Amino acid sequence: MPGDLELRNLRLRDYFSPRQLDRSEDYERFFRIEFVVSQVALVVALALYAWRGARFARESAAGRIGTGMLLGMLGLAVGWLSQLPFRVVEVWWQRRYDILDTGYVDALVDNWLVLGAEFLSICLALLIVMGFAGLFPRNWWLPAAPVFVAIGALLAFTLPYLGDTERLEDSALRANARQLARELDVEGIPVDVEEVSDETNAPNAYAYGLGPSRRIVLWDTLLEYPDDEVLVVVAHEFAHQSRDHIWKSLGWYALFAFPGTYLIARFTRRRGGMAEPAAVPLSLLVVVMLSLAALPFENAISRHMEREADWVALDATEDPEAAQRLFRRFTRDALAQPDPPEWSSALLDSHPTIEERIAMAIAWQDRRRGP
Amino acid sequence: MEPEQPPLELQETRAAEEPGPAEPPHRHPVRLIVRDDLRRSRLTVFFRALLALPHLVWLVLWGFAAWTAAFANWLAVVISGETPTTFHGFLGAYVRYTTHVYAYLLLAANPFPGFTGKPGYPLDIELDPPARQSRWSALVRLLLAVPALVIASVLAPVTGVFGGGVLLVAAFLAWFTALVLGRVTPGLRDLMAYGLGYTAQAFAYSLLVTGRYPDSDPDAMLTRSSAPRHPVRLSFDDDLRRSRFTVLFRLPLTFPHFVWLTMWSAVAYVAAVANWLVALVLGRSARPLHRFLAAYVRYASHVSAYLFLVGNPFPGFTGRPGVYPVDVEIDGPGPQRRLVTLFRLVLAVPAFLVYGTLSAVLAVAAFFAWFAALITGRMPRGLRSLGAFAIRYGAQTTAYWVVLTDRYPHALPTTRIQTPDAAGREAAPA
Repeated sequence: MPGDLELRNLRLRDYFSPRQLDRSEDYERFFRIEFVVSQVALVVALALYAWRGARFARESAAGRIGTGMLLGMLGLAVGWLSQLPFRVVEVWWQRRYDILDTGYVDALVDNWLVLGAEFLSICLALLIVMGFAGLFPRNWWLPAAPVFVAIGALLAFTLPYLGDTERLEDSALRANARQLARELDVEGIPVDVEEVSDETNAPNAYAYGLGPSRRIVLWDTLLEYPDDEVLVVVAHEFAHQSRDHIWKSLGWYALFAFPGTYLIARFTRRRGGMAEPAAVPLSLLVVVMLSLAALPFENAISRHMEREADWVALDATEDPEAAQRLFRRFTRDALAQPDPPEWSSALLDSHPTIEERIAMAIAWQDRRRGP
Repeated sequence: MEPEQPPLELQETRAAEEPGPAEPPHRHPVRLIVRDDLRRSRLTVFFRALLALPHLVWLVLWGFAAWTAAFANWLAVVISGETPTTFHGFLGAYVRYTTHVYAYLLLAANPFPGFTGKPGYPLDIELDPPARQSRWSALVRLLLAVPALVIASVLAPVTGVFGGGVLLVAAFLAWFTALVLGRVTPGLRDLMAYGLGYTAQAFAYSLLVTGRYPDSDPDAMLTRSSAPRHPVRLSFDDDLRRSRFTVLFRLPLTFPHFVWLTMWSAVAYVAAVANWLVALVLGRSARPLHRFLAAYVRYASHVSAYLFLVGNPFPGFTGRPGVYPVDVEIDGPGPQRRLVTLFRLVLAVPAFLVYGTLSAVLAVAAFFAWFAALITGRMPRGLRSLGAFAIRYGAQTTAYWVVLTDRYPHALPTTRIQTPDAAGREAAPA
């Protein structure tokens, strides 16, 4: 992406109808408020748990680490309960705007299964932390942080093999995708399709995997779009792979992991350190607070990568018109507000705003035309 | 010349008449009486299902009348708070008759029963006279009876729902045993007796013959029975208190244990094969393998106990003995018969069948116990004891097939262990 790129301010009324703008604003305003309230609820719930949660150690017949695992899982359960009403309200809101087709029960059951997976994850994390803390009570974070990064890399590598996706069947689209992959020097990376249309109408796509497991996935909702727009998405996801964004994300994760684990070790010392199960409830609160504090930085990094992927996609497809039409659809179909408040965009958004993305496509067009 | 022993039936009757030390303080108004001597006529066993046909036809007809009478009885109890004596006699006879017929059909008893439900059958139901019942409870009786009827359905095929797997499997095994030996084993007989007794209590409650809820505690049902000492025993030191919060999340809390248990199982299966080879050659299992597999059996039982609410605390991951309130005691390596070892997996098939059906009971009991524990913060004693029995049987089955012992799992649902005296007395009929 050129360093001197300047995006012009757009008159949104030229791109969207007043109804589309109002509707997307209404839709997203709710999520901003809901996010703030739900995070307050989460912090309060975990603060209470940090205060009183160690009592649940008496519900364990396991040893030090096993008891820590129980306290960790119960902490997640407390967090889950605190978020449950918000989840229900989210489903209601998305159903109201025809974004989600899932019923309340299905959404909660899915949510419950996700909780089970989170329980497993926290047990693994606590096994590592408490295991090292037993050996190095003050400096456990030094060996633990690289182990977390290694696990992150392992997950990034293996997740594509566990995903429930199918190969893209449309032969014309597949041929064009192959052409784009050649241009971006990521030949051989498959394009998969994930079936989500029973649950949602929103379009989405993502790139994941490392080395031989690299692939890009399109939601089947996206395949209803015209081919040239789908190819913009494909190029964008290939750009993530060609610019090694997953490796870079891992690198950023590693940079955050060391100070993060150090701070957890520091804050939990008064509870006897992470070798003690009693410190686990407090550590969860610390993790959530650190995650919230890191959120703006993480999103800034993510937005930078997304901008780069957008630019690379424009270079590869050379079709700024299709890109603009695609971004406008995101507002029309997924109700993405084109111009959210700056604080919201800075704190919460992992992607550039729709306004920025359209402006980037115009800027690319202007540069191509020349002065 | 040895003195002739008194007839077996007489021994059992006498045992039933003796005041037992294990009599519960508040005995249930619907009680199971077992006077059976375990002997079976091979001829009637072979044709048992056909011989029971007239009874089944009569039972269906009686069933129509009984449920019609039950409706009238329901009105009477809701209005007056007590079952009229006429209805109590009629419906009580129906409950008894159902028990007699299914005891005969499933080989839990030997003689062809009468058609009137008169008391005196070897596997019988004793009913207290009518007593006052709560009108509110009577008003919503069928709703309240649903959990008991579901459990009864999983135990016995009497209600016609869910297949009554436990007793069907027990009867299937008893059929072969009786044909070969001319008798059934006390374990299978008492397992069937327990299932029929519980079903009778569930029926009596549903038909408003009594206001007392069925008691699923096998120890309370089979007050005179005690299991022979087994090398794999269940011990529990559980106060029935349950943490509501951990009950709410019990299933996902067990996920890490599922993962660990799966990994451990993979290694344990290999160790079991090695142990089988060692036992085949040496006639006993190797001490390190025995220790490893015993820890595996204990750990699996701890996890089951936790998942199914039979135990309260979160278990450890090592299967260490003596740390979990629902624990499995396993004797050290002892001599094992090589022939039994050689055919161990084949011989274990009946135990697998029984355990498969008991697992269903365990799951159903845990389902209802989950609600009870969530509301009251306590585990119902009966469901806990029933679950404990299923876990004990599972531990004995696993211990048997991984060649920790050559003693067959004991199907008797009680948690009581025979004292040496009792063992001597019960050894005679066996």
